[in-house]
Amino acid sequence: MKIADVFLTDEQVMEAVKGGNLQQVSVLFDRYHLRIFNFLVRLTADRPVAEDLTQNVFLRLIKYRSSYREGNKFMPWIYQMARNVFSDHYQSNKNKWKGFTDLQKIEDSMPESDESGLQDEREELLHRSMARLDQEQQELLVLTRFQHMKYEEVALIMNTSVANIKVKVHRAIGKLREHYFELEKG
Amino acid sequence: MENEKWNSLLIDYIDGKLTEGDRLVVETELKVNSDVLKLYKQLTTVIRELDNQAEIKPTAKLRTTFKNALQQEIESSKSNKQVFFQPMMLRIAAGVALVMVGVSIGYWINKNNIRHQEIVRLRQEMDSTKYAMMAMLTNQQSASQRMLAVTVAYQMPSADDEIVNALVKTMNEDSNTNVRLAALEALSKFLHQAHVRAALIQSLAKQKDPVVQISLIQLLVKMKEKSVVKELERMTKEKGLLPAVKDEAHAGILKLS
Repeated sequence: MKIADVFLTDEQVMEAVKGGNLQQVSVLFDRYHLRIFNFLVRLTADRPVAEDLTQNVFLRLIKYRSSYREGNKFMPWIYQMARNVFSDHYQSNKNKWKGFTDLQKIEDSMPESDESGLQDEREELLHRSMARLDQEQQELLVLTRFQHMKYEEVALIMNTSVANIKVKVHRAIGKLREHYFELEKG
Repeated sequence: MENEKWNSLLIDYIDGKLTEGDRLVVETELKVNSDVLKLYKQLTTVIRELDNQAEIKPTAKLRTTFKNALQQEIESSKSNKQVFFQPMMLRIAAGVALVMVGVSIGYWINKNNIRHQEIVRLRQEMDSTKYAMMAMLTNQQSASQRMLAVTVAYQMPSADDEIVNALVKTMNEDSNTNVRLAALEALSKFLHQAHVRAALIQSLAKQKDPVVQISLIQLLVKMKEKSVVKELERMTKEKGLLPAVKDEAHAGILKLS
């Protein structure tokens, strides 16, 4: 990345990409690939798949660069693309979809825990509970809790009102709580 | 419904997003309502679990494969270079130019259309004049009508095969000498048309009216039509032919030889 690129906003970089300067996609990759990968790895619970899908998001960004509207925020746009990429993957793998998080696959990507096995058990419980939620609820929790996004930002990504997002997130947490303590009992 | 309300209030309470008033309501309820307290504890556990999830790092392979893919995209975009005007002013200029070209094409098409309509109208007018003229020309009852028809033909800017044939027929066969002469005069106007010249040459052998014969010889000489010399020689020898015609034929031979 050039020093001058640091001072450019995401939107300015994207406008350069739209204008044909494809090399600038690498600036956006540097800024966003970690967030997009984390969003996708939480949804797929599969690191190699999440890496493939992350790459697809950036390739799709290049392919559909002309659809980026000047003046619009870049962040919601790329997350919308990531949601679409995940949705396509989910649809094409529907029959193969296991319906729950494959912890074996994700655990390699988790940082080493200093705490006892209790923490691992809690995490496992959380992922299994998450997997019982519907796709939108999972996305909402990943964005608002794992990625600490504001409701305003998520509302832009989901193209809805902030109030609606708040209601949906609260319901998702409520559902997650139910599944979590049901699984804990069982 | 009540549960959903407390669920929402407690999440905001845990996140520290409640107003002072609502916070006091929640705290009071937590002291007296064991169900709400249980819900609060469970939500706290789940939310802490959610918020404590660490960021996951992708492998280095992601960056490598992305860079390769990007390079390929750059290479292929060079070979399929898109015309994309930058900056904005150029795009606007291109847009304005496009609109102007569109308007010009529209104007041109419209103008052409009007011109085409005008041509069609004139052609229809000419056709109706032609058919009226042809009808008059075949009117055997009135020589003046046929004369008028020949005059109309004379005023026409050009004559098609149909008109030429009608005039030739009139010149050769009409019962009235004046009409035949007028037809010859009308045909002389269209001499530059090859089929008119051919018709006049052929007519020389068929023509029986001395007045027309003389006029025809004069016209063919004027046309410098050397191919008629043989026919003129034959006429000089023809028995019964009016001497004035023979004299004109002689004069013609001399002028053309």
